[in-house]
Amino acid sequence: MKFGLFYELSTPRPFTAAQQTAVFENALEQIRLADQLGFHSVWCVEHHFLEEYSHASCPDMFLTAAARETKNIRVGFGIGTCVPAMHSPIRWAEKAAFLDHLSNGRVEFGTGRSSTWNELGGFNAKVDDTKRTWDEFCRVIPKMWTEERFSHEGTYFSMPERCILPKPVQDPHPPLWVAVTAPGTEFDAADRGMGALILSISEVERNVPRIREYRERIKRCKPVGAFVNDQVAIANWLHCHPDDKLAKQRGDELIATFGYMAGQTIEVSEAYPANNYTAIGLLSSLRPDPNAPGDTKKPPASGLCFGSPEALIETIGRWEAAGADHLVFMVQAREHLPQKEVLDSLRLFAKEVMPHFATDARQAQLSAAVNA
Amino acid sequence: MNAPVLLYGNRAPSTVTLAAEPLDVSPQETLVLPDVAILYVLFEMPMTVALERLPVALHPSIPAVLGITVMHAKESPFGEFTLAYQGIACRTGIKPRHFITGAFCGNAQAAHYFTVRYGLDVRAAEVSYLETYDRVHGEVRVDGRSILDLSIVECLPLVGNGALIKYSPPLAATRVNGEPALVQFEAGYDFKRSIRGRPQLTAFDAAALGDAAVKPATPIAGSNSVVDLHLMPVRFQVDLTTPAEAGGAKKVTRP
Repeated sequence: MKFGLFYELSTPRPFTAAQQTAVFENALEQIRLADQLGFHSVWCVEHHFLEEYSHASCPDMFLTAAARETKNIRVGFGIGTCVPAMHSPIRWAEKAAFLDHLSNGRVEFGTGRSSTWNELGGFNAKVDDTKRTWDEFCRVIPKMWTEERFSHEGTYFSMPERCILPKPVQDPHPPLWVAVTAPGTEFDAADRGMGALILSISEVERNVPRIREYRERIKRCKPVGAFVNDQVAIANWLHCHPDDKLAKQRGDELIATFGYMAGQTIEVSEAYPANNYTAIGLLSSLRPDPNAPGDTKKPPASGLCFGSPEALIETIGRWEAAGADHLVFMVQAREHLPQKEVLDSLRLFAKEVMPHFATDARQAQLSAAVNA
Repeated sequence: MNAPVLLYGNRAPSTVTLAAEPLDVSPQETLVLPDVAILYVLFEMPMTVALERLPVALHPSIPAVLGITVMHAKESPFGEFTLAYQGIACRTGIKPRHFITGAFCGNAQAAHYFTVRYGLDVRAAEVSYLETYDRVHGEVRVDGRSILDLSIVECLPLVGNGALIKYSPPLAATRVNGEPALVQFEAGYDFKRSIRGRPQLTAFDAAALGDAAVKPATPIAGSNSVVDLHLMPVRFQVDLTTPAEAGGAKKVTRP
């Protein structure tokens, strides 16, 4: 099991320059510590116009800053949006390869298509086409990395022959991932030989059949890249504290804060009925059923990592048994927790929990890092 | 912990118009109306107006959204009726709803039903609905003048779960057990078919529709569905006077 951090860069009102800078700097401090503690990866979302919820409009820039301040932690786009109104696939290929150099080959490239009206409406994107544009982007970007010169005549993207530069450090190219919010997208990932970055927070057991089916289907995949990235990462939450009750209380506070912010956004399925947006996404997974508003919040899913080290070892053990390869954690929401609490949580987790899920060699490394 | 600064409506509760008659909380039965057509159209609107017109009990949605619904029932205990209402998208806590700023119906019995059962301040008007081969059209006329003329055009069928339109439940300002409150429209929908179309607005008299400040801006999308409509007893209310961060929905108290 590998562990990572996941950043939305949520920001409290009022949106002052000082507040915004503090959010970015606090996140970078957490990442520097995570790198020292032996965390495997840091991921940054791409979102636009999501007030409070996510000010991560330029994940490439944030990840570049993170890469330049760290040595080993891998830097993941979680995700780059594959919608022509927002990006050209050329720019994604260039940015990811550029960062691969600046990070010395540590890029993970996640893909997706956005699920909010805030973003797709804001960019005047063609909502009905996003699944198909995502598919086309996924197929051309690896070729832009691996072919010396590339040209393409497609449905949603075309270009004459050009040499797309730079080429990435990783040979043949960075691992490819898909953000999975709607049930079924994990199969799209498997069929294309891509890793599944599962963002629907829920019970461990509910993910067992999804992961099992993913593993079966990826055996028969037709990879869009030059290799198969057979990995499942689960986005999750983390707050680790010696006092299990206090950790869970902090967890409730983080989820409530996240839910409030998520509730302000308008999911595509709420505004623009479409056959390619039929399921609720990450935001609604924490939102109570509108037909049951007396239930002010859902009880935290049992798979969330809020608790004492002992409790987290048990929870993560269940994720491991379910077949997850990575857990990537959100550790903050709108700066709700004091920075010291977040850093202490990471330290405790690295010292008491991570060694239980490491190989012998990795355990020795982690032990040295924690002691240092 | 760090104290948050939240975004919520600025409108004083005393300026919110309550329904002409108080809510009757006693009915417990569900009324099922077959084959009800629901034209549901969303527009973006300026955030400054949404904040100005939403009461302190509600958060706005981001972006700010105006929703218009035209509901046509061929069969009901009140006979055939068409009901139209509009509202500003909002949240109480983290749940999507529409704060109703105007409601209209030409059938007096139906209008009374929706007023006393769901708190809608329904005004008399000539409301029409028509589905044709190339559009779905809804209109509200008062004194022979069109104050709302709305269509969806270039319609496409929705299939599977895409056909299950996610209506945000209306919240209507009324009196519940003597106190001002926002009451949630309580309905269930058995979808039979749905289409989506591009909104086309040819008449919109904001003042006549209930609030001169509330006007649509960028169109989002519209849908037309045929459903079996389950009109259920009200269950939830929101305290009109409690700011959003301290409020939220609670169960309607029945004597």
